[in-house]
Amino acid sequence: MTATSTSYILKRIVFALVTVFVAVTLNFVLFRALPGSAVTDLSRVPNASPQLVHALKVQFGLDKSKTQQYFVYLKQLTHGNLGISYTDQQPVNSLLFRALKNSVPMALLGAIVAIVIGTGSGILATWRRDTLLSYGTTFSAMVFYSLPTQWLGLMLILLFGGLLPTSGMTNEFLLHPSGWQHASDYLSHMILPSLTYALTLYGQYALVVRSAMLETMGEDYVLTARAKGLPMRRIMLRHVFRNAMLPFATLVALSLGFIAGGAVLIETVFSWPGIGRLIYQSVLSRDYPVLQGAFLVITLSVIFFNFVADLLYFKIDPRISQ
Amino acid sequence: MSPHNASPSECPATTVPACLAEGEAPLVSVDGLHVWFALPSGRELHAVQGVSFDLERGVRLGLVGESGCGKTTTILSMMGLLPPSASVAGAVSPRARNILARGEQSVRSHRWTDIAMVFQGAMNSLNPVKTVGSQVVEAMEYHNVAHGEAARTRAGELFEMLGISAQSGARFPHEFSGGMRQRAAIAMALSCSPDVLLADEPTTALDVMVQAQIGELLVGLTRELGMAMVLVTHDLPLVAQLCERVAVMYAGKIVESGPMDAVFHRPRHPYTRMLFAATPDLYDKERVVSIPGAPPQLDRRIDGCAFAPRCDSASDRCRVQHPRLLDIGPQHKAACHAKDPGACT
Amino acid sequence: MSSIIESPEVQPVSDVGGEKEPSIGTFAIVWQVIRRRPSAAIGAAVLLLVIAISLLAPVIAPYGIHQQVGPVYGPPSFKHPLGLDDGGIDMLSLIMWGGRVSLTVGLAATVVAIFVGGTIGILTGYLGGVTDTVLMRFTDYFIVIPVIPLMMVIAVLWGPSLSHIILVIGLLQWTTTARIVRAQVRSVRERVYIRRARAIGGGHLRVVLRHVLPQVAPLLVANTVLTIAIAVFSETALAFLGLSDPSRTSWGTMIQHAFARTAASTGAWWAIVYPGVAVAIVIMACYLLGQAIEDAMNPRLKVSHVSVRTFGVRLPPREGDS
Repeated sequence: MTATSTSYILKRIVFALVTVFVAVTLNFVLFRALPGSAVTDLSRVPNASPQLVHALKVQFGLDKSKTQQYFVYLKQLTHGNLGISYTDQQPVNSLLFRALKNSVPMALLGAIVAIVIGTGSGILATWRRDTLLSYGTTFSAMVFYSLPTQWLGLMLILLFGGLLPTSGMTNEFLLHPSGWQHASDYLSHMILPSLTYALTLYGQYALVVRSAMLETMGEDYVLTARAKGLPMRRIMLRHVFRNAMLPFATLVALSLGFIAGGAVLIETVFSWPGIGRLIYQSVLSRDYPVLQGAFLVITLSVIFFNFVADLLYFKIDPRISQ
Repeated sequence: MSPHNASPSECPATTVPACLAEGEAPLVSVDGLHVWFALPSGRELHAVQGVSFDLERGVRLGLVGESGCGKTTTILSMMGLLPPSASVAGAVSPRARNILARGEQSVRSHRWTDIAMVFQGAMNSLNPVKTVGSQVVEAMEYHNVAHGEAARTRAGELFEMLGISAQSGARFPHEFSGGMRQRAAIAMALSCSPDVLLADEPTTALDVMVQAQIGELLVGLTRELGMAMVLVTHDLPLVAQLCERVAVMYAGKIVESGPMDAVFHRPRHPYTRMLFAATPDLYDKERVVSIPGAPPQLDRRIDGCAFAPRCDSASDRCRVQHPRLLDIGPQHKAACHAKDPGACT
Repeated sequence: MSSIIESPEVQPVSDVGGEKEPSIGTFAIVWQVIRRRPSAAIGAAVLLLVIAISLLAPVIAPYGIHQQVGPVYGPPSFKHPLGLDDGGIDMLSLIMWGGRVSLTVGLAATVVAIFVGGTIGILTGYLGGVTDTVLMRFTDYFIVIPVIPLMMVIAVLWGPSLSHIILVIGLLQWTTTARIVRAQVRSVRERVYIRRARAIGGGHLRVVLRHVLPQVAPLLVANTVLTIAIAVFSETALAFLGLSDPSRTSWGTMIQHAFARTAASTGAWWAIVYPGVAVAIVIMACYLLGQAIEDAMNPRLKVSHVSVRTFGVRLPPREGDS
């Protein structure tokens, strides 16, 4: 690695860490230091025993000044302690962990399908411009881009309600399922939510890929490739696509960061017990410790994937590495 | 010999190369080339209007004129590098067969192997995410000139010939300076041994010393390789320096053409006169060529001579009858009604 | 690089040497785009139609929206082409009236977003320096934070009312606008005629209003239109989660009602489909118009060197023709 590339990576790491710090601080401010909001007291867990209240007060320094609370908060963060949920007195971090375990596979599957279909669709749309196929793929991408997520989910329920499970992650009435039964049950529940996720995302991806390809097709080096006598297919793949994918790759990395945010709308429609639905329920029940923890997790995930996107760009664009 | 104090008669470019024999068949012949562009308004822009010229081995032809006169479109059409909104008529014939006969289909197989091009400001004419060497090799491998290691070696040799190190092939375009990039682009253009090299403003955006080097390079190449070259530029001193023949274009047509010496010292067409007069000192490159008025719109029919509105010797006949390109000296043609030599010096 | 220009829509008035200020007005540009590109024309026409229908709803809606005219979830019929909702109310009238609320929220939130984003963009772009750095870091944080959860939290804290929803949506959508405006202002700032205007003695505000703004305006118009789409969608999302004003019927609340009152399992597809289609139509129209303007302003899209169709070949014109 050259000196400049190491320094670039270091700069990106520093930037990410700074943003993390800012995010943590603003998170604290949002949920605890806002005057008059009911969130200032993490020990206000309903039905909590006096011992629990006391323990929480000590842990989070809730009888001290706001600045001191801030530092205590930071200290607790390093231990992974995010407080106790108001609704069920469970530690927030285990709640979040479980929720993430449910959200991530569903969202990841949807994202992968969206990337594959979106890229293919975007290329098709530009491959043969001004043909029916290209108009059709573009139109389809626009339609799916325009459909509201929750509505799309409801439509899928309407259409496939009889064939596929439309609610929850597993069938509670399946007693002692074998490994195979459990897996197929889980997957069959995941199909519709993941499909909704994929369809919502694919439209956006297809349009972005199409734009990137169209912009690249006007570049001078594409004319050079044409002047060299290369056939259209080779020009499209080796010159246009190769270059257009640069911004798209970073877009994908960024949207992976939002997977941790769960898809609030999708999980609500399908009652999928993920982080999105957890956030929704916590909002309704004013469960601020959970919300604070969830926000932190999501923000950290986005910052992390931003950093990954920077690294990725660095790797694939030779102009940056020098 | 520096470019700063040369006039055409002193310039080595005007010495007729020994390889050129009288009456030799042209390497490429452009015959009655017309190009139209369909405009969104529904009209058509007649960008090139019946351009013809021949290029023999080793000849360097300068194609000059204001922006929009059609010189770039002319050379792009020689390789069929036109958008779908364009239509062509006429013939471009390397080795006596019209490659434009069936449009893109017939012209593509002749690109790079018969006619190659170097573009303006090689800033972006090289793909930024691929190494320079791989782009040269790509051309050679596609046209079956060389493959693999042999291709890389040949690319290295071409680079050396153009004054950049053979190892530079492993580098990316952004690591090169403008001059080096242009040399790499020329190397790439030569990789399949074309008969004709088209150069579109190859030295604009380069500094003066580099311009001179590239210029000399191009002259040397046409001599050594027996290649013909068309140099499109608005830089008159450069054309005077490098080219032994020049064609002046205005409003899509060639209005004067001939040996550099003759056209420069005895310009017949008023436009040529004004062009060269606007650049009295060949080394005074700061002077912007500016002739009062503007070129005509080419989306409508023009009666008479297109230059008449701006011409200082226009007569009534000029406004009505279009002047044809006629011989006025050995290989020297001009399209002007004013035949009186007195009026033109 | 001499490449062949296809069809530039916006030609700045240029003179030899020095840059003259493009003299074509913003609305002229937008009108030109609409005239030249069918997608823009369709988008604009559809938007105007929808706005017109919403404005005229009190006059043209066939029935009242509190008036029960048939059974619960009555199917579509000749008298009620879109069917009836769970209260026996005519869906067509509901859609017309609902549009008023959805569009009002969408447009008003967009005004907020554009105003905030535009101001920040101009400030950071024009002033640069410390203002730029600080405000851009602030913007970065807003990009990183999960938008819908934040909207949810604020909506819950603030209470459900339309004006709160408008502010919430608007205050979280300004980041893209700010970035776009900032980029444009920065590129315009360096141009010769700006420095000339300053040299003549124009005050900052005057220079901004008279010279910078007109240059930025077309892209801002495109961004505004696209923001309307996002705002309308956000309204449906918040309404779906029960965070909007339940007393005002909007397309979003209609979808939410359909979900909460199990229209899907009852088979009353019309209660789900039509509100969603209405939203999708508006979003798609916004996308068509906004993207068309953006494409028209993008110089990189004016040329394309790759295409399936190729140039034509003709017979030479007869001697004497020009």
